[in-house]
Amino acid sequence: MKPIERVSLALQHKEADRVPVYPLMCGVARKLVGASYPRWSTDMDVCAEAYEKVTEEFDLDVICTLIDLSVEAADFGQAIVYPENEAAHPDYNNYMLKSTADISALQPIKYKDSVRMKGMVKLCDRLVKSKGADVPVVAFVFGPLGVLSMMRGQANLFMDIFDDPDAVKNGVAAVTETLLEYIDALAATGVPAIMLDTLFASQSIMSKSMWMEFEGQYVSRIADRIREHGCMVMIHNCGNGIYFDAQIESMKPVAISFLHLPDDCKTPQELKEKYGSKVTLIGRIPPTWLLTCTQEELEEECRKEIDQYKAGGGFILATGCEYPANLGFEHARTIVRMAKEYGKY
Amino acid sequence: MQVLQAIAEALQRGDVKGVKEGVASALAEGIDPKQILEEGMMSAMDIIGTKFKNNEIFVPEVLIAARAMNAGMEALKLKLVEAGVKPLGKMVIGTVKGDLHDIGKNMVRMMMEGAGFEVVDLGIDVSAEKFVEAVKEHQPEILGMSALLTTTMGEMKVVIDAITAAGLRDKVKIMVGGAPLTQSFADQIGADAYCKNAAEAASAAKQLVG
Repeated sequence: MKPIERVSLALQHKEADRVPVYPLMCGVARKLVGASYPRWSTDMDVCAEAYEKVTEEFDLDVICTLIDLSVEAADFGQAIVYPENEAAHPDYNNYMLKSTADISALQPIKYKDSVRMKGMVKLCDRLVKSKGADVPVVAFVFGPLGVLSMMRGQANLFMDIFDDPDAVKNGVAAVTETLLEYIDALAATGVPAIMLDTLFASQSIMSKSMWMEFEGQYVSRIADRIREHGCMVMIHNCGNGIYFDAQIESMKPVAISFLHLPDDCKTPQELKEKYGSKVTLIGRIPPTWLLTCTQEELEEECRKEIDQYKAGGGFILATGCEYPANLGFEHARTIVRMAKEYGKY
Repeated sequence: MQVLQAIAEALQRGDVKGVKEGVASALAEGIDPKQILEEGMMSAMDIIGTKFKNNEIFVPEVLIAARAMNAGMEALKLKLVEAGVKPLGKMVIGTVKGDLHDIGKNMVRMMMEGAGFEVVDLGIDVSAEKFVEAVKEHQPEILGMSALLTTTMGEMKVVIDAITAAGLRDKVKIMVGGAPLTQSFADQIGADAYCKNAAEAASAAKQLVG
């Protein structure tokens, strides 16, 4: 069975030959092409080559094009730092939005004038052409409130929500308009799905009602636009107590990639019963734990995840967030092997 | 007392102006600064911490409460010094080398101050040498380290080893926290406490110095 067939069945909540698997190997793939993090992040030919190699070498069932969370903010003009051995991030000493007045004045930017967003589109275009017939390529897009936080600083933005909620909403609306155009370009590459990272939709950050007011209603439009193009909507959120219900209401995703249990489920069994028929569950191996666990412990964890979620399809074995970018490849091999051996239907 | 209750309520809703005015009124009424601190502000931060731990409030609400607490402390600081009020203990805190994230570390600092600790904040991207120097200089009961990245959390072990090599390990309790951390990681590197969130940090610190 090809990965695209296997994943397709999982998304239809049907059992394939085995549980699909992808340990969210993104930045770590740079090592396979001998590229530094900055080069991998900014040269999309190098990035594509790394994604192709990691997919082939590890026999991954999904390609998810996460590079870093600064792609969209960079094109708005946020100064970005590109460290040698970790993901790019905003210059924390130089946020471009210095005040709520700046947020109020934020305007959408044109996709045609972008650099990093165009790079992501180029990456998706190449991967769809080189791998798309066999492996589903999922384009990764940061949600609008997250993008805004990259230009303002999270702590500042959270306090702005109380100090000047209208300004924040204006900022989120401006980013949303830009993302809609970005979605059009991504969908045109032929990607079958777009994954929205809704970083703040969990108890790790803010209340459900606050998230709905300040991102949910905006990201709902983005999800609609994705579907208008015939693409599937997926969500990634590695927060604790993730809001499955609010996000399903607002985005109607086919799959959710997550690390922790949702706020309204106490056990994996409850999660599977409550949401297992509504969305495909992607996860939930803790990536940071991979830094210290043994191979035997990881095998046991994989068995546990597969036992908890595989029944009836609707499950993809994955790490709950990006595979550590500076870790070796051995644990990734184990995760894939376990899906192949223990994840058989 | 009504004015102390008003300060506590203002602090919980993050009302900077309300807290400042409340503190000024309380001082004008001749209320002991220590009582204003404990019954007006620390009690409110305690409620904030409990609500945060119970997922009744979240990061934004804690941030605005802490901002109001800081404003109240500014208004009260001189009076506390004059009255000879001693902190519960001292903590040196920082985000480890290579890591530039500060929201978690700042929240811990604020919750610790709200719990009555004096906090020396070394900021972000703090090297092991700087941590060692700060422990020598400030002689805190607690050293707190934060990391938000899988690529930087290993630096915590480097700091603990440096503290040990400097002969300071038995003089300071070490607390660690940050999104990628786990209890098993904290155990593995030899930390005294792993704190899942800022509210837990304040409770753990009280136990460590108690």
